[in-house]
Amino acid sequence: MSHTIFERAGGFASVRRIVSAFYDRVLESEMLQGYFVNTDFATLIDHQTKFIASMMGGPASFPDEVIRRAHLGLGITPREFREMADILKDTLLDHGVVPSDAEQVHAEVLKREPLVVARAA
Amino acid sequence: MNHLSSPGLPDGRTEVASEVQSVLGLAQGLATGLALIDPADWTVKAENAAFTRWFPVDLARPGAITERLRGVDLDRVRERLASAPSFAFETEVRRGARSAFLSILVRNVEFGGQTLMLAECQDVTKLRQSEQMMDSYSRMMEKNARELQKQKERVEKLLLNIMPRSVYEELKDFGTTTPRRFDSASVLMLDFVGFSEMAVQADPGTVVAELNDIFTSFDRIVETFGCERIKTIGDAYVAVAGLPEPEGEDTVNLARAALRMRRYLERRNSAHQTAWVARIGIATGTVIGSLVGIQKYVYDIFGPAVNLAARLEHHSQPAEITICADTNDLVRDEFVTRDIGVHDIKGFGRRQIHTLVGELQRTW
Repeated sequence: MSHTIFERAGGFASVRRIVSAFYDRVLESEMLQGYFVNTDFATLIDHQTKFIASMMGGPASFPDEVIRRAHLGLGITPREFREMADILKDTLLDHGVVPSDAEQVHAEVLKREPLVVARAA
Repeated sequence: MNHLSSPGLPDGRTEVASEVQSVLGLAQGLATGLALIDPADWTVKAENAAFTRWFPVDLARPGAITERLRGVDLDRVRERLASAPSFAFETEVRRGARSAFLSILVRNVEFGGQTLMLAECQDVTKLRQSEQMMDSYSRMMEKNARELQKQKERVEKLLLNIMPRSVYEELKDFGTTTPRRFDSASVLMLDFVGFSEMAVQADPGTVVAELNDIFTSFDRIVETFGCERIKTIGDAYVAVAGLPEPEGEDTVNLARAALRMRRYLERRNSAHQTAWVARIGIATGTVIGSLVGIQKYVYDIFGPAVNLAARLEHHSQPAEITICADTNDLVRDEFVTRDIGVHDIKGFGRRQIHTLVGELQRTW
């Protein structure tokens, strides 16, 4: 049995499709798309690739501090954060990731809520 | 709006316009964006739905394309098409949060004696996305590979501290090593006079720091002369020459290292408060070299030459280097040695022993 969800999901060959689908779905979400209007395409893809790979235990490091700084001052609400986490979970399930692994990635993402969600003033 | 309408067509060109319309009419539902452009005034003669989606019409100036094609260097396109039948380039268009990458091929087309440009736009966003992901992923992998390499080098360095390189290579290639017997290896044993008292009386931290300092210098000396440090046990230092690979001048090199160690200590003592005085024994004979242990392995040496070197070291006067007869035979052409007679050596019986005084050309 492979050690990481990343490997079990089929390595980068599969994760590439997951990142692509996740990108599409996030930008289709009316709740989330507004955050990406001024984001550079290459930067967004780079971050999503590293983010998803690291959440799946892949060969990426995405330190908490980087996540925190990237979302600083964006005013992201808990609802929006959960929407994103749910989109990721659905994307994983739709790409053949087993439910227990998708749940685990979802839980990993949710743990990072305090880094992403803006604190109420 | 009606995509097939062609505003601004002058009279007399209706035939062209209708021909264009009928062609583009078929292309209306295609995913490829198509537009027929007049390079003379940059007006769009006709376009299909996909093209309009990527390059929305500016309602104030419905015919002009310069505003719609912001980011595209139209003059360059015209220039290229003056000398070549077609020109291809890529551009990024944004709709809200989403970027689309278009590969655009522009061709000169003739319609009723008029030269127009036909622009074909393919959506290559997914391709671009894959490229970006691959770039991102390969950067991660390269970073990881560099870190792994660094780790590997660190581990290698650590292992080379506890075993000779050839043994390390054997362990790496075969996962195991075989003990080897060396019939004529020379072993050096050194320890310090009164170390136990020193360690108890002085500040232990200082003593250990100084010892560490001295052993580090010894390591450098031993390495300089192509010998191998085997281990240290407390204040004892064990080095060997002629294994794992005999190189001919081994015993001579070990004798040189011993003299260099003694000189190093003399110099150091003249500049430091604490005097470190060593006894050194060197013996030549049979040695078995082997990696010992499974989880915590260490390369160690055994055999008569090892025991004899330890005995000779005990037998040494402070700051002296005592050598056995076999060692003496190997070094006497190049060194000054002094016969100190036959002595009872525990476990070896009565043995002729010598003192290594210095190198022949420059006596001590």
